[in-house]
Amino acid sequence: MALVLMPAVATTYWMHIAIVVLLNITYTVALFSVLRMGYLSLGHAGFIALGAYTCVVLTVRLDISPWWGILGAGVMSGTVAWGLGAMTMRLRGIYFSLAIFAFGEIVVAFFRAFDWFGGPSGIANVPRPVFFGHALNDHFSFYWLVLCMSLFFMALLYRLQYTRYGATLLTLKTEASERLAQSVGIDAARLKTATFALSCAVVGTMGAVHAQYLMFINPQVFTFLTSTDLLIYAMVGGVSHFWGPVLGAGLLTLLGEQLFSAGYWKTLVYALVLMVVILSLPGGLVSLLDRVRDKWFSNLRN
Amino acid sequence: MKFVSIASGLMAACLALATQAHAQESFKIGNLSPLSGPAAAFGIGINRGIELAAEDVGTFQVAGKSYKLEVVPYDTSLDPGKTVAALNRAVLNDNVKYGFILGAAVHGAVLPIIRQNGFFDIFMGAAGKEVTNAENPTVFRFMASSDQLYYTFTPEIYKKLNIKRVAFMGPNNDLGRSDVKVLKEIATRLKGQGVEFVGEELVELNAKDFQASLLRLLAKNPDVIDTNASPTGTVGLIAKQARELGYKGYFISSTAVLEAKALVNVAGKGADNIVAYRIWSAAPTKLYDQIAERHQAKYKEATLGTVWEAYAATRWVVEAVQKAGTFDTKKVAEQLANSTFQFHPYGPASWGGDKTYGARRQIQTPLPASIIKDGVWTPLDVRMGTLE
Amino acid sequence: MLADKQQAIFQRCSSMSLTLLLQGLAIGLVNGALYILTALGLTLIYGILHIVNFAHGEVFMLGAMLVYVVYVLWEWPLLAALPAIALTAAVVGWLVERGIFRRLRGQWLQLLVATVGVSLIIQSLSWLVFGAQEKNVPSILPGVLVAWGIRMPYERLAAAGIAMCMVAALYAVVYKTRSGLAMRAIEEDEETARMLGIDTDKVAGLAVALGFALAAMGGVFVAPIYSINPGMGLEAILMSFIIIIIGGLGNITGTLVAGLFIGVVQSMGALLLGAESAHVLVFVVMIAVLIFRPQGLMGKL
Repeated sequence: MALVLMPAVATTYWMHIAIVVLLNITYTVALFSVLRMGYLSLGHAGFIALGAYTCVVLTVRLDISPWWGILGAGVMSGTVAWGLGAMTMRLRGIYFSLAIFAFGEIVVAFFRAFDWFGGPSGIANVPRPVFFGHALNDHFSFYWLVLCMSLFFMALLYRLQYTRYGATLLTLKTEASERLAQSVGIDAARLKTATFALSCAVVGTMGAVHAQYLMFINPQVFTFLTSTDLLIYAMVGGVSHFWGPVLGAGLLTLLGEQLFSAGYWKTLVYALVLMVVILSLPGGLVSLLDRVRDKWFSNLRN
Repeated sequence: MKFVSIASGLMAACLALATQAHAQESFKIGNLSPLSGPAAAFGIGINRGIELAAEDVGTFQVAGKSYKLEVVPYDTSLDPGKTVAALNRAVLNDNVKYGFILGAAVHGAVLPIIRQNGFFDIFMGAAGKEVTNAENPTVFRFMASSDQLYYTFTPEIYKKLNIKRVAFMGPNNDLGRSDVKVLKEIATRLKGQGVEFVGEELVELNAKDFQASLLRLLAKNPDVIDTNASPTGTVGLIAKQARELGYKGYFISSTAVLEAKALVNVAGKGADNIVAYRIWSAAPTKLYDQIAERHQAKYKEATLGTVWEAYAATRWVVEAVQKAGTFDTKKVAEQLANSTFQFHPYGPASWGGDKTYGARRQIQTPLPASIIKDGVWTPLDVRMGTLE
Repeated sequence: MLADKQQAIFQRCSSMSLTLLLQGLAIGLVNGALYILTALGLTLIYGILHIVNFAHGEVFMLGAMLVYVVYVLWEWPLLAALPAIALTAAVVGWLVERGIFRRLRGQWLQLLVATVGVSLIIQSLSWLVFGAQEKNVPSILPGVLVAWGIRMPYERLAAAGIAMCMVAALYAVVYKTRSGLAMRAIEEDEETARMLGIDTDKVAGLAVALGFALAAMGGVFVAPIYSINPGMGLEAILMSFIIIIIGGLGNITGTLVAGLFIGVVQSMGALLLGAESAHVLVFVVMIAVLIFRPQGLMGKL
């Protein structure tokens, strides 16, 4: 509810913060849906970048409407992820992660290499979508777009978890249980690839929105460090629950913006928070909430 | 009784402090530059330049009210995404209307925001027409641009050192690419002098190993390797590795921070015959020396390259604001563009670029050329022309 | 268009003298040896404990920083500085294993992210403590060797030589000593090893300590060749990743082969095709390996 009321009371700066927080939350939740399957993607930023560049190229170079740009971004990321997933998901553990890491690096290097994609300096003046004649050119109106899309994707991914499809994914977490699942007729490979593709389609779409927010894209915006950031958000939040990544991304992004001018201090604080959480709360911050909730309930009962 | 008197004494003191704090408003100047990372020396230098200028400016009057300078730093790490975020924060949240933005590469992203908000951009970065043009009236380049150096300085240097075969090695980004373009143009213009452009190698910005690329370039036998768009450390490494491969010619660089000691540390004897613009081997004015002394005393290290220019920019902008009698950036821009300034550490300063850029937003100051001989900067007797 | 480009490349190749090509090859091999030096520590830790140590690049950087502080600032003699740095890195590694890796045994995701956390801590602390200014360690062996028209600085040759010695030493330790035997045992089957009386905790600690020491030594010997700044860790780990992907995770021979291979590919690629293409070429090799032989040139899946 707070999210809907915000634009009425907040300043433009807080709109900026809110937009960045929502983007990060969506990215992290999408990453989470892959993590749940037991796969670690170290190159999700590559798919964000792919989506962003697709949208920018479609709208700036080919003069297509920004709405189609966003859609195209999702389709492109999803399709490429499907192909990549089909090839790499048979690799377990670290091999998969390194393959996706390699992909992330290659995507960025690819866009860097060609002037049509802006080369090293990128492309500016990315147009924003026009909603019934009203261009979403200020933070307030753009916020609505980001909010709607984030909520949509979060709801989608959340619901998917609780369908039969989602429950099945949990069975794929380890190699042994995957084999068991296959023995009862579950097409594990197809399922995994589909999930990976969906996750990447989501981040690709949001990447397009992100590029429209910045009105700019270049190879330095989404790097390996972005991928590790998302991972940290997910881990600090906790990977046992859907709300873990939401909590982690929201909290750490806010923290990051506050410590903004501090440069190295920001990284140090991030890292220390991460270490404390990982070592003392392996389930992430969200498990803390669980404990609090359980305690509260048991107190109520007594 | 005693308690009451102490309490009232404290209250009076607090009241006095509060009114004191209100009496002086601050003129906030943002510093959106790398304050961490390999390019941190640039950003930190700007901070210090502003601080030193603030000491000299003290409290000043604008339209009857008094102000003092306040630096608001934003670490951008030369990353466009971070610079956009910083500018958003500065303009929308921190009420900062004037600021240094460093980096030609990040400007693509921030120019729309600058135009939208009329932000007064004290631009520190090379580049050329892409940033300095008629569409960006509040963007002033407070340092020499690469084209300026190329058009007005380079031909003289080539003549002086009898350079004929010219090669370029630089980063594969906007800056590097535009420098190569201009260099080729200059070489064509100087064909009569026997000058020929023989080769270029564009490498990764943060690369450390240039041996293979140098090998390729050295096969063409250049007299000079132009390393204009590369940062100091890179220039040192290029020089070192080129000498190791047997190169005996010159290097030219226009980077802001080029301590001879730093280059010698990396390249040893190989640093000899590096030519640079903007390096003063002898102080051009008393002010220059004074600032260097104050910097050493206050920060306990040698003056960082961007300090002098940041000092001058801060004082000049404050002067322009005072003369314009307002903080309105468009009006101050007009006032500034048509003024000259006597407190620039390099000498008398003015603005130019009407013809070349379509806008009078390019600073004009005296500039030196120096060459390293025996590990120290020595002056190269070459005069720089003015930019039209 | 393409035909023109091919013509240009062909012309360039044929116009290049043999000396030039040999020089390119020499550069490639020596650079390859430097890559091996950089990646060795990562290979060891993964090889024994199956942990991808993301902090590897930062430990490499730490080694370089420490040699600047100890050898240049404090002016210790080289023979004292080197063991001191190796020991420091080893101790740090042992502490990390004890405090972090052991706690997270079995939780591979948490473990991986923990190493990322350690790398961020080391990196940000280094920026804060050492500052952003680039530092330089003067050449320990200045001068250039000129032989058969090929020039190679002594410093680099020495580093390449040390890289080879380290590979040999590592082989010796892992395959010829009792500790090495213990390490290989816990790599193969930890449960059984423990049942056979091997103190797996101690061996794990030793492996990580050794891995960190190797990483730091890599930084030490590369320091005089290039300049040092707290950001060099990222580049080191990226390169190490590429090497171990291509060579095979945890495989010493793989690291050796991949290092030399990539060094030569990069060098000859830059010489014949230009720096940009060389960069792309390395990635192409990496993709090819991941698609056709994901276990690496010498690895086992």
